[in-house]
Amino acid sequence: MQIRCNINHKEYNLEVEATSRVLDVIRELGITSPKEGCGEGECGACSIFFNGKLVNSCLLLAGQIQNAKILTLEGLYEETKIVRENFETTGAIQCGFCTSGFVLRSYDYVKESGVKDEQSVKDALDGNLCRCTGYQKIVDAVIKSMA
Amino acid sequence: MKYLIAKNLDDALTLREENPNFTLLFGASDIALKMKNNQVSGVVDLTHLDELSYIRKNENSIKIGALTTINAILQNRDITQFIPILSEASKEFASHQIRNIASLAGNVANASPVADMIAPLLVLNAKVTLLSSKGERTIFLSDLIIGFKSLDLNNEIITSFEIEIQKRQHYYRKVGPRAKLNIAKLSLAMVKQDERYFISGASLNPYVKRFTNLEELLNGKNYSDVDIKEAMDKDISPSGSFRSTKEYRRKVLFNMLGEALGKFAI
Repeated sequence: MQIRCNINHKEYNLEVEATSRVLDVIRELGITSPKEGCGEGECGACSIFFNGKLVNSCLLLAGQIQNAKILTLEGLYEETKIVRENFETTGAIQCGFCTSGFVLRSYDYVKESGVKDEQSVKDALDGNLCRCTGYQKIVDAVIKSMA
Repeated sequence: MKYLIAKNLDDALTLREENPNFTLLFGASDIALKMKNNQVSGVVDLTHLDELSYIRKNENSIKIGALTTINAILQNRDITQFIPILSEASKEFASHQIRNIASLAGNVANASPVADMIAPLLVLNAKVTLLSSKGERTIFLSDLIIGFKSLDLNNEIITSFEIEIQKRQHYYRKVGPRAKLNIAKLSLAMVKQDERYFISGASLNPYVKRFTNLEELLNGKNYSDVDIKEAMDKDISPSGSFRSTKEYRRKVLFNMLGEALGKFAI
C-alpha cells in the first residue's frame, strides 16, 4: 500500500504493507530512536508522536498513518534539549535503551504543563519502563525540567 | 491479509457489508498484537473517521463518539463532573500511550471478559448506537454484548454511546497485581441512583454483564452476608486463570461489595 505521511517534518511516499508496524517502517527509514523493547505496548521504548499524541509505535499499523504527522526524538531534538540535559546531569540514564521513550514522554508531560509533584510525575510515566536506573533519577530529571 | 481503509462513514458501511468477517479497527492497540500472531484474516480500518471522535453534552445526556480515546474521556470536564465513574475507570486504563489511541468502542467491541470500560458503562445504563447501510438503531449496551468476545451485530458499526446525566453515587475499584498498566484480576463498578443499585464487574464471567441477583437483593431492605454470597454466586462464574484464582476473585468481590455498601451508607 502507498502511504503518504510526514515524518520529522519531511514528506514521505512509502510503499509498505498496511499491516506493518509503524515501529518497523520508521526504523527501516534509518530513524532509530524508537526501540523495540517488549513489542506489546508495555515498555514505551517505541514511543512516537502520532498527530501530536504520544503512542506506542509497536501497536500502530502503517495503514493508520496515512496522511499523518509523525515525530520521533530525531525531529524534536531542539525542543527536548532541556529534558535531555536534565536526564544527563541527574544520571537518569544507564544503558539508554528506554531513554528516547522516556525523554519524549517527559517532554510531552512538561509541555502539557504537568504538575510538579512526585506522584503526578510517576503517574505520568506509567507507560514507560526502565530496567536500569530504578526511576527516582528519571523522576528527578522530569521535575528539574519544570523549574 | 486484506487491509481496507474507510475514508468516510458511507465508505465504512459499504466495506463492512462487503466484508462481514473482517475485524474493525477502532485504534488497534489490541488488534495489532493479534495481527502479529496471524489471528486476523482481514481488517476494515475505521481510525481515519474523525467524525466519530467527539464528546458532546446535551441537556440530559452526554454522547461519546465511538473513536473517542480513553485519554479524551479522562481529560473531559463534563465527564469528570457528570459521569465521574467513567473518569475513574479511564484513569486506571492501561498507560498514557495506550490511552492516547485506544478508543471506547474498541474496548467495548473487543468484548473481553477483562475489558475496563464495559462494567462502568453497564451500571450507567449506557445506550449504544449502531449504524449499517440499512439504518440506525440505539439499544442498551447490555443487549449488545451476548457472550465471550461476542456482540449482537448485523453488519453494523458502533457509532456512539449515550449516557444520561443523573444524580448518582458510585463506586469503582480495579484490583490487579500492580499499580500501573494493570490488567484486572477483577473489578467492581457500582452505581446507586434513585435508591436503586446497578452492579457489574470485570473478569468475573466469560463476558462483562450486570449482576442482577445482587441488584435485586440489595434493592430489597433486609439481607445478610450469607444472602450476599448466595446472590454473588448466581451472578458470577469466575474462571481460574494465570491472572488469579476463582477463590481469590470471590473473596475480593465480597470484600469490595462491603466496602462499596459502606461508602453508599455514608
